[in-house]
Amino acid sequence: MSNEQSSIAFPSTEELSGPLLRVKDLRTTFSTPRGSLTAVDGVSFELGRGETLGIVGESGSGKTVLARSVMGLLPRSNTTQTGSILFEETEIVGAQEATLREIWGAKIAMVFQDPMTSLNPVVRIQRQITESLRLHTSMDRAEAKATAISLLSQVGIPSPAERVRAYPFQLSGGMRQRVTIAIALACSPRLLLADEPTTGLDVTVQAQILDLLSSLQSARQMAVILVTHDLGVVATRTDRIAVMYAGHIVEMASTKRLFASMAMPYTQALLRSTPRISQPSHTRLIAIDGRPPDLINPPSGCAFAPRCTYATDQCRSERPPLRTAPEDPTHLFACWNPLQTGNAGSITTAKGEN
Amino acid sequence: MSSTTDAVSSAATESSVGVSRAPKKRMRKALGTIFWISICWIGVVFLLAIVASWIGLDDPNNGDFSLINSSPSWSHPFGTDDLGRDILSRVIYGARVSLIVGFGAMGLGMSIGGTLGMIAAYRRGGVDTLVSAASYVMLAFPALVAVIAIVAFWGHDIWKITIIVGVASTPLVYRVIRAATLSYATREFVTAAKAQGATDTRILSRELLPNVLPTIISYFLIGVATVIILEGALAFLGLSVPAPTASWGNMINESRTYLSDNPWLALFPSMAMFLFLIALNLVGDALRQSFDAQESKL
Repeated sequence: MSNEQSSIAFPSTEELSGPLLRVKDLRTTFSTPRGSLTAVDGVSFELGRGETLGIVGESGSGKTVLARSVMGLLPRSNTTQTGSILFEETEIVGAQEATLREIWGAKIAMVFQDPMTSLNPVVRIQRQITESLRLHTSMDRAEAKATAISLLSQVGIPSPAERVRAYPFQLSGGMRQRVTIAIALACSPRLLLADEPTTGLDVTVQAQILDLLSSLQSARQMAVILVTHDLGVVATRTDRIAVMYAGHIVEMASTKRLFASMAMPYTQALLRSTPRISQPSHTRLIAIDGRPPDLINPPSGCAFAPRCTYATDQCRSERPPLRTAPEDPTHLFACWNPLQTGNAGSITTAKGEN
Repeated sequence: MSSTTDAVSSAATESSVGVSRAPKKRMRKALGTIFWISICWIGVVFLLAIVASWIGLDDPNNGDFSLINSSPSWSHPFGTDDLGRDILSRVIYGARVSLIVGFGAMGLGMSIGGTLGMIAAYRRGGVDTLVSAASYVMLAFPALVAVIAIVAFWGHDIWKITIIVGVASTPLVYRVIRAATLSYATREFVTAAKAQGATDTRILSRELLPNVLPTIISYFLIGVATVIILEGALAFLGLSVPAPTASWGNMINESRTYLSDNPWLALFPSMAMFLFLIALNLVGDALRQSFDAQESKL
């Protein structure tokens, strides 16, 4: 089945201008029995068309909530959102579900963390792919099936014409994640949110899936937000990286710039806790001591201060604002005692593997 | 960064895990002989109940007064009752009542209780609180007493009994289906379907229903068995379909007086009920086990 059979037109980037996504002072709060929990606290960023943004942070740093907020997918009953998320001309914060439903799947799509749970176990793959095609396009059954087969071959599933009839349990983890990617790509979205798309997978399959995402992205001029806890994953596959901690973006820069001269001790700590091939074997990884702060009662100063080796009294009492690096206006960080470029010596080796 | 062709070739190695073939054949084996015997028996009962009028049975309501309380013979294989009516004929006609009440009431209970249960589990919040509270109220009321009271006042033709028993089964069905749906409603694939732009109705009918269907089917069959017993209990109290219409419950009720003279009168309807209920339960149980096994494989 050739790709030309797919009757979906890819949006051309030339005729559209301005950023695809503009997030401004986004604040997402959950009401819990213990009190209100601010999972995303004053996050602002922009995403251009076809750009890849990596969002990195520990578990509980708010990256998944941020991704779901961008999509407007959070449960409404216990969530309050303020700020603004402008996707093209549509405001996502406070939008009616009917409005969002037209965007969901058609313009923004999501690849979930665990393909074991994000596919319906008792529904054939064919129907899971064609569902959104039938919903958002005027394709009939046969056209949708042909598109589904072409999508499966695009995501690298062998003998796709037979595999469309399979149930998810008949496929391996990597294959399932390819299927979820095919589902997400069905209507050629402008923005793909990938929420830790490789965490549930075998290490050998991880790289394949990430490479697949990159190649599909460049072929389709699609913007991607790649959420992960692994700096190694985003290092080679993103244009920009935002590091999140305790619901804030604590550092954001182009990927090159970030690895060359990271300013946040937290970013450095994250990198040091990631295994690297360039290191000799049996190198001890440096874990970050302590735990992320309680987001119901966040500390008054810098949220990372209690775990930071460079922390001063100022760090503990006053929250650092997000400011630009003097050498590079696109490099933002929130730290009173930013690392000197020399401090990031270990980072050069990280760049070396690229 | 590797190209798509690389990805394709690497996926080919992955595919060696393979698609398992012929799941149907395996399922047929796994369900076992007892399951298929039970299915056949249920089928036979259904068939006889449907074609009862056309297979030359004796009139179930007008007997031969010269031959009362007779033992099984060639002309009356199950014997005759105290009014000389053919017991075989009455057992087969009686199956109609049990089947209509059993399947009709459960169908009604399943469509009301099941739908509400799925909606409550999916929507949660206010809907869930309200409907669950209502179900608790209904469950707290002794169902049999309520059914007897309503039947006594409203009358007891077969359709009224079906409706009353169906409504009475609603809260139980609601709780079971709600619990079954709840375990799927919070799964990621529901969020994933939503993220594809699916409406609530679509998620309920196309994502959740196929997953809950095994529970619905097995609970339905076991529910039918319970309702048939309930009909028997009502008949025993003289509150099922009015005489002379035969139902298994009515026949057992009538046989009480002649138990020592004519045990056949009690035996055959009891056997019919017993065998049919055990078949229903065995089928329901085998299906549930088979679905559980499939689930653990996922």
